[in-house]
Amino acid sequence: MGVFDTLGISASGLLAHRKWLDAVSDNISNINTATSTSQSAFKERFIEAQAVNYGSGEGGVRVATAQFGSGQGRVVYEPKNPLADKNGYVRYPDIDLGDQMAQLIMAQRGYQANLAVIDRATKTYQAALQLGKG
Amino acid sequence: MIGVGDVTTQALHAALSGLAERSRVTADNIANINTPRFLAGRTDFESALKDSLNMGETPTVSGGSVARSLEPTNTNGNNVNLDDETVIATETGLRYQLALNALDGKYSLLRTALQAS
Repeated sequence: MGVFDTLGISASGLLAHRKWLDAVSDNISNINTATSTSQSAFKERFIEAQAVNYGSGEGGVRVATAQFGSGQGRVVYEPKNPLADKNGYVRYPDIDLGDQMAQLIMAQRGYQANLAVIDRATKTYQAALQLGKG
Repeated sequence: MIGVGDVTTQALHAALSGLAERSRVTADNIANINTPRFLAGRTDFESALKDSLNMGETPTVSGGSVARSLEPTNTNGNNVNLDDETVIATETGLRYQLALNALDGKYSLLRTALQAS
C-alpha cells in the first residue's frame, strides 16, 4: 500500500473511461463508413472493463480487452455509390447512434466522478502535509 | 502523560490510517463505477478501535479488511452508488482533517514543552 494510493486508483478510472470515450468516438466517426458487400462492415468497438485484483486490496480498474461487434452490418441499396456491387448494394455498419450517445454520457460522467475524487484526495493530502507546521 | 507514542497519538494514528484506507476503497469503487459484476467495497476500523480503547489498550494500527456491499445490483451486476460514494468520500475527507487537527494540537503541545527551556 503506497502513500498516495487514492490518486493512482482514480487515475486508473480516468484511463478506463477515456478509453471508453475513444471507442465511442471511433464508433460514431465510422457510423457512415460504407464498404462493398464483399467486405465486412466497420465493426463496433466495445471496451471490457475489469477490476484490478478484485477483492485482494490493490484496487483500480483496467481495460481487459476491446471486443468487436458483428461485421455483417446492414446492406443498403445505393446504386450510385462507387462501392456498390452489381446489384447496387453497399454495406454500412449497424451502429445505433442513440446507443452511442448514451454510452458517451456514461463514460463522460464516470470520468468526471473520478476527477472529483482526485480533487478531494489532493485537498486531503495537502492538509496532511501541513501536519506539524502550525 | 504526554509522550510521542501515547494512547492519544496511537488512537489518532489508527484513525488516520483507517480513514486513508476508506478513501482508497471509495476511490476503487468510483473507478469501477461502470465495471460489470463489481461489488462496492466497505471497510470498518471504528469498531476495532472503539473496542481496544474501551478495554484500555493502546490501539494498534492495522489495515482494515474490505467487505463487499450486499446492496442490490444493476442489470450489469454492479452495485456502486455514486451518491453513497460521494457522501462517504466527503465524510472521510472531513474526518481525516479532524483527526489531523487533533494530532496537530497534540504535536504543538509537545513543541511547547520542548521549547520551554
